[in-house]
Amino acid sequence: MKLKKALAVALAAGMTMSCAMCVSADELETISLTVWGAEEDQDLLGELASGFAETYAEYANFDIQIGVESESTAKDTILTDVEAAADVFAFPDDQLNALVSAGALLNLEEYDEMLQAYAGTSLETIKSENVEGSVDAASIDGSLYAFPRAADNGYFLYYNASVLSEEDVASWDSLLAAAAEAGGKVGMVLNSGWYNASFFYGAGFTTGLNDDGTTTIDWNGTSEDGYTGVQVTQAMLEIAANEAFMAIADGDTSNQIASGDLVAVVSGTWDAEACQTAFGDGYAATKLPTYTIGEDQVQQGSVSGYKYVGANGYSENSGWAVLLAAYMTSESSQEEYFTQRQSGPSNIAVASSDAVLENVAQAALAEQSAYGQVQRVGDKYWDPTATFGENIAQGTLAVDDEAAIQEALDTLVEGVTAAIE
Amino acid sequence: MSGFFKAIGKWFSTFGEAVVHGDAFVKLSLLWMGAGYARRKQYIKALIMTVLEVAVIAFTFTFAVQYVSKFGTLGTVQMEKVFNMETMKSEFNDYDNSFQILLYSLISFVVWFAFIVIWMRNVVNVRRLQVEAELGHHINTFREDMRTYLDEKFHITLLTLPVLGIVIFTAIPILLLILVAFTNYDQNHMPPTSLFWWVGFDNFISLFGGGGLTSTFGYAFVRVLGWTLVWAFFATFTTYIGGILLSLLLNSSKTRLPKLWRTLFVVTIAVPQFVSLLLVRNFFSNGGIVNTICANIGLTGFLRNIGLISTSYIPFLSAPGWAHVMIILINIWIGVPYQMLIATGVLMNLPSDQLESARVDGASPFQIFRKITMPYMLFVTGPALVTDFVKNINNFNVIYLLTENVYTTTNQAMANSQAKEVDLLVTWLFRLTQDYYNYKMASVIGIMVFIICAVFTLFAFNKLISGDREEEYQ
Repeated sequence: MKLKKALAVALAAGMTMSCAMCVSADELETISLTVWGAEEDQDLLGELASGFAETYAEYANFDIQIGVESESTAKDTILTDVEAAADVFAFPDDQLNALVSAGALLNLEEYDEMLQAYAGTSLETIKSENVEGSVDAASIDGSLYAFPRAADNGYFLYYNASVLSEEDVASWDSLLAAAAEAGGKVGMVLNSGWYNASFFYGAGFTTGLNDDGTTTIDWNGTSEDGYTGVQVTQAMLEIAANEAFMAIADGDTSNQIASGDLVAVVSGTWDAEACQTAFGDGYAATKLPTYTIGEDQVQQGSVSGYKYVGANGYSENSGWAVLLAAYMTSESSQEEYFTQRQSGPSNIAVASSDAVLENVAQAALAEQSAYGQVQRVGDKYWDPTATFGENIAQGTLAVDDEAAIQEALDTLVEGVTAAIE
Repeated sequence: MSGFFKAIGKWFSTFGEAVVHGDAFVKLSLLWMGAGYARRKQYIKALIMTVLEVAVIAFTFTFAVQYVSKFGTLGTVQMEKVFNMETMKSEFNDYDNSFQILLYSLISFVVWFAFIVIWMRNVVNVRRLQVEAELGHHINTFREDMRTYLDEKFHITLLTLPVLGIVIFTAIPILLLILVAFTNYDQNHMPPTSLFWWVGFDNFISLFGGGGLTSTFGYAFVRVLGWTLVWAFFATFTTYIGGILLSLLLNSSKTRLPKLWRTLFVVTIAVPQFVSLLLVRNFFSNGGIVNTICANIGLTGFLRNIGLISTSYIPFLSAPGWAHVMIILINIWIGVPYQMLIATGVLMNLPSDQLESARVDGASPFQIFRKITMPYMLFVTGPALVTDFVKNINNFNVIYLLTENVYTTTNQAMANSQAKEVDLLVTWLFRLTQDYYNYKMASVIGIMVFIICAVFTLFAFNKLISGDREEEYQ
């Protein structure tokens, strides 16, 4: 009996103690953070958030809310009301400038010390761990504004290897000829400045962004490599006029792949599954072909796009927001993104892992990235370049009418470089 | 118009008269709004007025002053912040938000305006009470006053809520829009990070080609406006005529199973418009099912042979001309069922004696339609026709859903202004704000749309369907 009483007392004491402990745990501050990410990433985001809460459990309790906000529309939603937007959000590189100028992204340089104290890493380390382009595209005046998460926002050539050989896909001439012979088509979006810039970038032309948000573009002149914009446009017109070429409307690529008329298509990792289904055993991917200017074969360039996770400039718990963003883009998180979401990593270590290298689409993307560049342009870039591409797709310009082509290029440059009213 | 100004003049003269001839308590009411009522023993009214006055004064000093005082500059303190590593929080300065200043100042002005109206009205009321007291008339108790709001003043009771709704949901946003048109609120001046400020008439000058904007903005504006009016005209009249013809057909005694047909047409209303529009857009897209069918039956090849198209597809929704016609045709399909329902209702009330006598006199069905049915329809649905026209000027759904992401203009001058040939003013406006954050120019265009709609409506209501038309019809 006595023993039982003693046991009860001991139990009671134990409970009091454990309760005392739980009280002390409650004394930790509760930090509320919201995260916005793509709908298809929600499960993964949940896992990462609980991983983060565990990692930093000694400092605070975390109440992390995860919301759906497509990366492609993140900017629009955030700029509607910056103060009410999520603390941490994912977005692609073309939105970075608008977000920074609206104050929606924290300057991460101010958080370097904090990262060293809490996360055992530094901005320097993070920058060296990710591919250079991804860091450059998120830096303005030497300051990093978001953590790179993925380097898969670019395009390359998918083709059906049972119809086309490796030699066929080396140049547009041989590609189109082989496709015509096989009775198939080669598809590419022309009415988008994201795709059609690839011809100009390949020939050494550039685009850029000024501090005031206006765009610079030199396509109506002569490039570093000695080609004129007219020559590039003529080459594009030749390709577009080819019977085997199909100008796909922007946003319609997946449908066209599924229709089964294509034997090759210019697209990105998001169409990997569609191409796999359409091409079956012939599913293959490689860098973009070369195209012909006069006697020369010019390697078609491309846009290297990146995806980021950033912390809101108006986040109250900005320190924790930065730590969470850093956690979501760490090496192990990017590994998870690749295995669960087939998202191409920007982290060099993950990108050079066997699993990534064996992936057909990722390998082609890596191959093309040697010719890719970051596209930093203002909002005025898109409509004029889309219209320019549409004119090429519809063949409203004549190949031999150099004056008209020059005029079209001049109008394009005028529209793109227009001041922001 | 003159009646309006006369009413305002009368309002002020009544007020002046009340102040000059009123007794001490009426004059005291200028300061303490309850004074006059308290003197006439209307204590509850006195209390209500006092509370109202205190509330407005409290509103002014705790809320309005901090915004209205900055209304002239729209704020001067730029946002600044520092990161505090101790607390892991950002510390912000007390920055100005230009948009909040603009919005809350406007709300303050509206509240003050309403208060001044009540304040003047109050003086007039207590003066009337004074006169009645001097004449020895009965002074209403609060309960009796309240009862009048259910009897002779019932219209006030009924209209209070709607008027309040119009002020809050219509007047304030419109006033805000007008104010934004005079600022430089755009993507380079986005609150809260940046301030924006007044720029006078600069935006209006640049709309009409006075520099600052691209040289093509005025060019695009004229073309977009032109298509807007053409569209509004065709969209209104095709569905109107189509609806009447369809309902006549369904009402005809020779039509079998009229209820079945009517139901089928109404079913199209039951499907949400955006769903059917997006589906139709996909059907008619360059690589869509209609194009596949046309290519398979050889129509595409035929059209190319005769030189109507130069592309390997029929650009139903992606070339000017084609797209314009297609949009109007698709709109007929979308809009006719609504008009059919309205027309059916009106036709059922067609005076049958007139039809009967016309038939006895040997009028043909077409004559009956032209001389009796149409005039009657026009008389009854005239106002609805005007509203439809204005609604079509702002018909965002049809145009945006059918052309967004499908239509790429080949006109470089239009593209340089972010416009397309198929844009209505309102869809252009939407893209300018949504994609380019160009709120100031959007406001300017918004004001233009408002003026166009207002002028048209005033003109149409005054000239086309004024009240004396009734006799004309009879």
